[in-house]
Amino acid sequence: MTSTFTLRGSNILGKTLTIHSYKGGTGKTSIAANLAASYAKNGSDVCILDYDFRAPSMQVLFKGKPKNYLNDFLDEKCDISDVLIDVTRKNKTKGKLLVGLTGHSTKTMREIMTKDRKWEMKALHLTLSAKATLYKDLNVDYIIFDTSPGMHYSSINAIAASDFALLVTKLDEFDFEGTKELINGIYDVLGRKTGILLNKIPTMHVPIGDGQKKLEEKLGRSFNFPIFGMIPCYCDVQADGGKTIYTLQKPNHPFSQSIEQLTEKLEDYLGKLDSSE
Amino acid sequence: MTNEELKIIELLKKINSTLESLSNKVEKSIKIQEDFLGRLGHKGKTLDLDEMPLDVATLLYLPDHLRKTALAISELKEATASEVSEKTGRVRAAESDYLNQLVSQGHLKKKRKGHDVYFYIEGE
Repeated sequence: MTSTFTLRGSNILGKTLTIHSYKGGTGKTSIAANLAASYAKNGSDVCILDYDFRAPSMQVLFKGKPKNYLNDFLDEKCDISDVLIDVTRKNKTKGKLLVGLTGHSTKTMREIMTKDRKWEMKALHLTLSAKATLYKDLNVDYIIFDTSPGMHYSSINAIAASDFALLVTKLDEFDFEGTKELINGIYDVLGRKTGILLNKIPTMHVPIGDGQKKLEEKLGRSFNFPIFGMIPCYCDVQADGGKTIYTLQKPNHPFSQSIEQLTEKLEDYLGKLDSSE
Repeated sequence: MTNEELKIIELLKKINSTLESLSNKVEKSIKIQEDFLGRLGHKGKTLDLDEMPLDVATLLYLPDHLRKTALAISELKEATASEVSEKTGRVRAAESDYLNQLVSQGHLKKKRKGHDVYFYIEGE
């Protein structure tokens, strides 16, 4: 059963994307950060929010000491605008680049584990209302959620608040099967537009030219969702340990070029969504 | 049998088939909800719809038509049926019906302000 719907008025001012995966280690955070940087580099105003409350890592890529964390926002101690750090000048992007970080102390992560369903309900409402602030008051064009892998409240809240979900998966059976489960159990039910990105593919398995296109089409039919790209595994990106935003600091690297292609495909796809609704 | 009687029988068969399909969908929704709650550590807890806060786990459990309304109210926090219908794109009368269903299930409350009836989530 496919139930597709969007809420009118929720996507007119901007686009909200969630970067999610079934398993960890698929490169989700790196993809999210580089995608946000790519949009900002190209002139769009972007806000990236680290909704991986269980293993936050966006602070490694976007260094900064915020006055408040997303945890404080969801605990209703401050507004969403009080959480954001503006890294535009530091990263010399054409468009604005705002980052919302999550508390990464053990104490903070332990507190998240104790939250009850009423808190999670409020967290959903706050996440939904944050979009209005970001679009209307801060004129953001794109909101990007980085999320915890698998089924966690914060991840599903982000998906519920999004126009589009990009599922990042590796080329292995565990990931494929789990990704299909997520699609059937969550994305399909919530009626979210979804796309798949294959990441960290061993180089010998990456076909080139027509071969890649044929494989993408085959996988797209298997998942029943469009494939947005196949990014090879780069040893130097792995060895870097997530410290570099490649689209800004190493724009000529093949990984950066893959992200640029992803950005173009997403813009094209999301643009078509607008005109079909 | 007359033509009319045959038509009635056909109609009853269609209704029966639709009810079976609806029943299967509800079963599927219950299974998804149980799986989801299980993964979130709520395994074994009974699914009393009337006590469930309107979080994503509940949203996944709701039938499609109510989920869309619930998501709209989650974003608006407090709204009339007209305001919700603007958000969902559905007619006001249908949203009014769905909102009242959510009230009877205990997910929403309603209050009157002048001539208007506002629906909201308790605790917000």
